[in-house]
Formats: sequence, structure tokens, C-alpha cells
Amino acid sequence: MNATLAAVMAILGLTLIKATPLIYAALGGVLSERAGVVNIGLEGILIAGAFTSVVVSGATGNPILGALAGVLAGMLLAAILAYVTTRLAVDQIVAGTGLNIAALAGAAFGLVLVYHQPGASHEVPALGRTGETVLVVLAFVAAGVLHLVLTRTPWGLHVRACGEDPSAADSAGIDALKTRFWAVVIGGAIASLGGVYLSLAELDLYSDGMTAGRGFIALAAVIFGRWTPLGATGAALFFGFFAALQFSLQRAGVPSELLQALPYLAALVALAGFAGRVRAPAADGVPYVRS
Amino acid sequence: MTAAFLRTRAFRDIVVVLVLVFGVGSIAMLLAHVSPIVGFGALFDGAWGTKGEIAETLVQTTNLLFPALGIAIAFRAGLFNIGAEGQLVMGGFAAGWLGAQFPLPGYLAVPMVLAAGTLAGGVWGAIPGIMRARFKANEVIATLMLNVVAILLTTYLVTGPLQQGGANGSETGPLPKAAQLTHLFDTQLTWAFVLALVLAFVLRWVLQGTVFGYELRAAGDAPEAAKRAGIDLGRTALIAMSLSGAIAGLGGATIVAGALHRFNTGLSPGYGFIAIAVALVGNLDPLWIVVASVAFGMLQSGGIAMQAEAGVPKEVVSLIIGLVIIALAGRRVVASLRST
Amino acid sequence: MQAVDGVDLELQPGEIHALVGENGAGKSTLAAIAYGAVRSDDGSVEAVGVVGLVHQHFKLIERLRVWENVLLNREPRRGWAIDVDAARERVRALSASYGLAVDPDALVETLPVGIKQRVELLRELDREPSVLLLDEPTASLAPTEIASFFTTVGDLAKRGTAIMVVTHKLAEVIAYSQRVTVMRAGRVVASHLTSETSADEIAREMVGGEVPALAARASVATAPLLEVRGLSARSGTSVLDDATFEVRAGEIVGVAGIEGNGQTALSDALAGVAAFTGELVFAGTPLRASDTPASRLARGIRVIPQDRRHEALVLDWNVRDNVALGRHRTLGLAKYAGAAREVIERFDVRPPNPDAIVAALSGGNQQKIVVGRTLASSPKLVVAYQPTRGIDIGAAALVQSRLIEARNAGAGVLLISFELDEIFATADRVLVIANGKFVGSFDRAGIDRGRIGALMAGNA
Repeated sequence: MNATLAAVMAILGLTLIKATPLIYAALGGVLSERAGVVNIGLEGILIAGAFTSVVVSGATGNPILGALAGVLAGMLLAAILAYVTTRLAVDQIVAGTGLNIAALAGAAFGLVLVYHQPGASHEVPALGRTGETVLVVLAFVAAGVLHLVLTRTPWGLHVRACGEDPSAADSAGIDALKTRFWAVVIGGAIASLGGVYLSLAELDLYSDGMTAGRGFIALAAVIFGRWTPLGATGAALFFGFFAALQFSLQRAGVPSELLQALPYLAALVALAGFAGRVRAPAADGVPYVRS
Repeated sequence: MTAAFLRTRAFRDIVVVLVLVFGVGSIAMLLAHVSPIVGFGALFDGAWGTKGEIAETLVQTTNLLFPALGIAIAFRAGLFNIGAEGQLVMGGFAAGWLGAQFPLPGYLAVPMVLAAGTLAGGVWGAIPGIMRARFKANEVIATLMLNVVAILLTTYLVTGPLQQGGANGSETGPLPKAAQLTHLFDTQLTWAFVLALVLAFVLRWVLQGTVFGYELRAAGDAPEAAKRAGIDLGRTALIAMSLSGAIAGLGGATIVAGALHRFNTGLSPGYGFIAIAVALVGNLDPLWIVVASVAFGMLQSGGIAMQAEAGVPKEVVSLIIGLVIIALAGRRVVASLRST
Repeated sequence: MQAVDGVDLELQPGEIHALVGENGAGKSTLAAIAYGAVRSDDGSVEAVGVVGLVHQHFKLIERLRVWENVLLNREPRRGWAIDVDAARERVRALSASYGLAVDPDALVETLPVGIKQRVELLRELDREPSVLLLDEPTASLAPTEIASFFTTVGDLAKRGTAIMVVTHKLAEVIAYSQRVTVMRAGRVVASHLTSETSADEIAREMVGGEVPALAARASVATAPLLEVRGLSARSGTSVLDDATFEVRAGEIVGVAGIEGNGQTALSDALAGVAAFTGELVFAGTPLRASDTPASRLARGIRVIPQDRRHEALVLDWNVRDNVALGRHRTLGLAKYAGAAREVIERFDVRPPNPDAIVAALSGGNQQKIVVGRTLASSPKLVVAYQPTRGIDIGAAALVQSRLIEARNAGAGVLLISFELDEIFATADRVLVIANGKFVGSFDRAGIDRGRIGALMAGNA
């Protein structure tokens, strides 16, 4: 009896650990997309958050400062994407792809510059178990807060208006471009916490490729969660659960690749409409050009 | 290239690219305590110095040229194929596995291996094509997801049910000599390079000189007008995506048959993504894409030498490529905005 | 040509002032200028208090709720959050006060058009405007909704608001307005107290002038080319309801009507891009709703669409490739250049260069390309939807002449136009469409401008 309970608790715990970075990234994606900007660059933002937080923590000896720096880095990358997509009306998908490539390469380059070795950084002061717990709890708090903001605050209403019909929003006096910009940047701030978690909470270093496509899984979670904060969190937990089960299921003969593919297959299924009618915000991905 | 407007924009974009390459590159080199002159010198010398280096540059060019051509076909039809990486992987897998599984005499083996890769890539491209045509699903997200699924699927097959006893059990078996591409000039360059060049010319002719190419471009440049002119948009989308995937798959096959002589999931250092930059810099025109491929191929191969000789980490190259993609992301949107 | 040229207009509080005119007369532009959304080149706009504008095409966000749309950017707050209860209450109070019943929590996309308009109206009313501009407010309303709408508007006027209703519906003008101003081609041509004028007089002022010279006719074939029976169709917001008419080979049938009365649905159904119910028979063969546009083209049915920039031309391409569009398969690539030269010559396209990029050509030349390639394919039936929209007089005259020549050569032409002058100049028969229905038919000899204008306005 006790052993089963312990096993269940272990799985639940592992689920939370696996899900937390996904939740942060997915929440960032939800905010951005509700405003009408598809943020393909979530992976790059995770990388920026993970890398910068490690470097600053190592340099200052203070993991909290590191975490803050990670958030700032994520916001900066998001700001670049936000700027080119709102002011220059470039293609959001392509720009996001470029961001990912640049971020991965930038971090790898940075590793060599700062630590004089490729592949991984030195170990740095980390957030420890307390910090890890705080970040896990904070993820759910953030989900709740984002839900409230989107559904109950004036700014949240304006964000949703911009994502549905930026021209109608503009005619009501809302600056659609500015609203979109800030939604992307704040979304980037939230998402970067996922990166901080990966490097400073779960571990105490940065290594090449540690984000392992979580930014794309987060996109899948956004779709599967129907572009709502609570839905995306649920989807992230769902994916995290299967990731946690990976070892047990593997022993039972399920190929690990199938488990890893689950989030992507789920998103494809949702896209094809099998999971019920999923509708993105109407102006999602459409550059708004004031005529 | 048709629009005069695009011509002026193209010029401005070339300037932007050059600024990024030399500007950001110089800053990065200085950060690495290397003089930009030394750094770029090593880069160019490493790309064109010896016969072997030239060959390596052309190999990288070939590896980029195939997926870039595929991406361009899709983009010209108005479809965002971000899945060239996955299509390339599937193509390489099919080529490697079938080639090792069914040894055939040379004149059959090579066509079979290349055809297998083309077909596999075509199927992988057709999936998002069908999703778009039938379910109106966003092909961007679909192709992105399928990239990862491709890696996972091939890993599973290679280590599991389709095991061929390759090294560590994570590769396909070695490709028989008959199925390997012959090398040119005693270097690692194979005639895949020539194949890619020929393909570029063929695609140019298809786009500009056939009715099919006409319809494909119309679907991309003015979908509503195309529809009313009798063009079947759903069918065009499906064919364009399949063709796009097939070309990328062929590229994967040439990597396996030409250089690696086996398949493993690490066969591509992100060619499918870098090819997006190549396609954009080449303004989605097959012949200009050849030029762009050479430029990026030079960056790729020179980057390795730059790291070895001047001590500048080769990631600088990828960083610049990412920035170029961001800068040129406006290329696609102009046409799509025009048709809404 | 100016959209609005030297207009003087005064709106008095407590008065409903109707602004009438045909499409393109400049009414909507004037309203936009008055609202402040568009700046005028000359002259000034002065208003005491807030000016509200209810657009012809609603600016509502479909997936938001009624109260969210009404109070967007003016939401009542409680601390950091929106005070949803107060918002609902405010909408209910507004609703009751103006007699416009709406459910504050309903999603706008679920509402019928008449209710959507109430939401749009409430949004402006919440700003407590002293001047309210209404652009074609009853265009999409059912007759019962219209009556209650004007009751509301009348109450508003009684409370002291100055109201301007931009409309083409003369019956409503006579019934509900106190003053009416008539615009034509950007200018004010008349202004009356409603009590001192009549629908007929207004109609004549709207369309103005004499009947132009008769076009030369060739003999008309007796067998019908296109038979339409009970055709109902929908394309976007355009609705066609139970249309029955026919077009014979060798005649031009004009469809006169105000924009937004079902013409797009008719054109799109014929083009094969909109579904329809009812019977559509072409040269004896029934056409199916499931037919593709390609099959329509193959039969010899060509449609000149209303929006050449998005529905007919590939702006980034050159003249040669645009001329080929639609015939690109049957012509064969080698013949594109020759075909382009023919069209350029016959239609006087300037500059006469097949490699010129279409985006750089004037509207008139762009339209000549579209009409030219359509007629060059020797179609049996031409559906010309606003073929001279936004082009200069010379190009318009050329297009109209070519259509007449096509008719003389045996083609059937269905000319759908918002410009009565054009129809009167070219048509052998005139049908009138209003609210999606065909409401009148006139032979050339029996054309009665006043009556047609009245029918167009929904006056049976």
C-alpha cells in the first residue's frame, strides 16, 4: 500500500517537474496569440532565459539576480520579434524561426566566450529546492493570473479584441500595434521563466540543447488547450504526465519515441479538428497594417 | 523575378544581409578576441583554399540547395513549408534503409535509393498538404510538428522494428558500394551537386515555362483571382506541398548516398531551417537560390575552418543566419498582404 | 474626380436629415469626414459635442460579447478588474432607455443582423453624441425592424440629437426625415424640406439628366441562353432570393440596383464560386451548384468580377500573364504573347507593353485588360459586374462599346451595375433588383427612370 502511494506521489511530482517549463512557455504563447501574434520563437526565448540566468548567476553569485536577468533576456528577444512583426509587418512565422536559430547559436557562442568550452557551462549557484518549489507554484499562479487578466481586466479585453479584429479595435481607440507589442513582450517574460527553471531550478548549469524542443511542445499545448491559459496549463500537465510516465511505460514496452511524439501528435489531431472545433483568434498570425 | 518593385527591395535586402554578415560577424569575432580581418580571412580561405575545401563548400551548397528549392516551390504556391528538415530526414531514412535492405546492381541501386528518398519526402510533405486542403489546417504548425515526429519516428524504426544492425543500433546498415554516389575529382563532392544544379534549372523552367508553374504561382500570388480563373486551389496546394517535400527528401537521400553511406538521425545540422534563409535570400527564384546556396555553403564550410584556425566559434555563422532570416521575413508577407 | 466637392451641409438638433444619392455619389465619404475619420482637403467640419457614426459595415468584434463591444475601451472598473455587473447594468439601462433590446451577455457572432446593428448603435449612444450619423442603417433590416429602428431614431431626435441618415431608400426618407439633401457625383444638387418634395422628384435628382443615345442593335436570338428560375444564393453577406429571369443570346440585360442588394450573390453563383439553390440552365444544360469555376469557363460563361484587384488580376505579374489568366490552359504558353498583343491593341491598353507590371497601370487600363481578355475568349455569356467601376470616362466608354459589339456578335451579356446611366446607355432590357429580389422588368422602349429609381429604393 505504502509503496503504491509512494510511486503515485513520485509520478505526480515528476509530472509537475516536467510540466512546469511547458506551462511557462505555453502561457507566454497564449498571451501572444490571443493578441494576434503567433510566437514561433518560444524555443529561442526559453534558451535565452536558461542561458542568461546561468551566466549572470555565475558572475554575481546570486541566483535570484540570474533569474531576473533570464527574464530580461527573454523579454528582449520577444521585443525584437514584437517589433519586426508589428512595426515592420514581417511574417511572424519566418521571423520566429529565425529567432530560434539565432538564439540557439547565440547561446552556443556565448558558452565558448564565457566558459571557454563548448557544450555546457560550469556549475553555478542555483535556486535550490526552495527555488524550484517556488517556480512550480508560481507557474500555476501565473496561469490563474493570466486567466483573470484576459477575462476580467480592461487590458485583457483589449488584447483579445486585437487578436480577433485589430481594425475594429483600432476604431474603438485601442492602439492595436502597441497592444500586440506588449502582449508579445510580457508573454516573453513569462515564457523565459521556463528557461530559468530548466537551468537554475532543475539543474545548476546550461547545456547546449537543454530546451529540447519544449518551445514547440508549448505551441502544441497552446493549440491543444484552445488558446486559453487554463487549457494550455492542462495540456502542459497532460504532456508532462506522459513524459513522467516515460520510464514506466518503456518498461511495459511502449516505445519512448511514441511518448515523446505524443504532444506533437495531439496538436496535429487538434489542428485537423478531431478534438472538436478549435479556433484560433481570428486575426492570429495576420500582420495588421494600418491603412 | 517579375516585379520592378521587388527588384528595389531585393537590392535593399542584399545590403541588409551584407551588413548583418559583416557587422554582426565582426562584433562576434571581436568578442572572441579575434580581429575580423583574421576571422573573415579564415572563413573565406577555409571555404575556397584547397581543392578539398572547395569540395566541402560545394557539398554544403548541395545539402542546402535541395531543401531550399523545395521550400521555394511551396512558398511560391503560398504555402509555408517549415517542415523541410523533417522531409529531408524521412528521405534520408528511406534511402538508407532501403539501400541497405535490398542490395541491387549499381545502375538500379542508385536510382532506387534516390527515388525512395524522394517518395518518402513527398509523402511527408503531402500530409500537411492534405491537412490544409481537406481540414483547412494551418500548414505552418503542421509542418513544424512533423519535423519532430520525423526524428522520433525514424529513431524508433532504426532502433526497433527496422533494425539493420548499424553502429550502436542507432543507424541503418551500411549502404552497399553500388548504391553510393560516385565522387568527383577525388574529393568528397559527388555528382549530387550536378543533380541539384540541374534540378534548379528544371524548376525554373517549370515555374516560368509550364502551365502548371503558372497555376502554382497564381495560387500563391493571387488566390482569389486564381480560383475564379478555374485553378483548383486545393489540388495545387497538395501538389506543391508534395513536390516540396519530395525535393527535400531527395536532398536527404543524397546526403546518405553521397557522404554518410548510412542513415542516422544526426544527418542534418539543421539544413532544413537554414534553407529557409537560403530560399528567402534567393528571393524564391531557383537560379538565385543556387547563388544563395553557394554563399551559405561557404559560410557553413568556412565556419568550421574559421573555428579551427582563428578560434572563432562556428556558431557565429548560425547566429548570423538566424538574424538574416528575421531581416528577410518581410519578403513573403508582401505578396500575401497584396492578395488579401 | 473628387469624392466630395464643395459640400455645404448643416445638421440641426432634433431633426432627422436624410442624405441621399446613388453609389459613388459621395455620401459615405461625407459621413466619414463629418465623423472625423477622414480628413478633407478643403473646408471645415464643426460640431458641438460628440459625433457618433454607425458604419454601414459594422465594426463589431464577432467573438466578444455584446457588453464587451458596446463598452470597448470605456469599460467600467472596480479596482484592477472590469466591473462586469456594472457593465451589464449599463448596457441594460442604455437598452431600455432607447428601446433597443439586447442581451448583454450574448456573443455577437450569434446575433442576427438586425440585433447586431442595435449593438453598433448602442456603442455610439453610450458616448452620448449630440450628432449621430447613420450610414445606410436599414440596408440589412427586415421591414418590421425598420419601423422600430426609426421609432428609436425619432425618439433620439426628440431628445435633441442631430441625426443624419445616409440612405438610398426613398420611402423611408419621405416617411421619417424632416429634411433631405441629394448628392450626385460628389456634389450637392438639391436640398429640401421633406414635406415640400416627393419620392419621384428626389429620384430624378439622384439620377439626373436625360436618357443617353440608343446603342446600335443587332437582331436578337429567340432561344434563351441563360434561364434562371427560383435562384437563391449567398456569398458572404450578399443574399439573392428566388430570382427568375432569362438572358438571350444577342442581348444585353441590365441589372439595376443599389449596392448590397444581392448582386454579388448572383454574380458569384454564376461564376461557380458560391453555392445556390434553384435552377440555372445554360444553353439547355442545367448548371449545378457543385460545378467548379473551371467548368463554367469551359462552357463559355465568363464573369468580369467587381473587384479587379483581388478577384481578376495578379497585380505583381505583367500584362501578358494577366491576359492569359482564365485561358491559360487552352491557349498554351507559346500563345500568351500574341494574345496579349491583341488585347493591348483592341482595347488601347497604355502603355502598350506586354511586359509592363499590372500594378503600375491605371485602374482604367487594368480594367481594359480584364474586359479585353474576357471578350477575346469569345464567350457565350458575359456577366459584367460593375465593368466600369472607378475608371476614367474614356476607358468606360471603350468598355461599354466593346460589350455592345460582343452583343452584336451574338453573345449574351448580363450587366450588373450600380450606375443607372451605364445601364440605360447599353441595355436592351432592364431588370431591377432590391433586397435580393427581382422586382421589375423594363424593355428599352418602356424605361421609366423615376419608376426604376423607386423600385431600386425598395418602393414597390
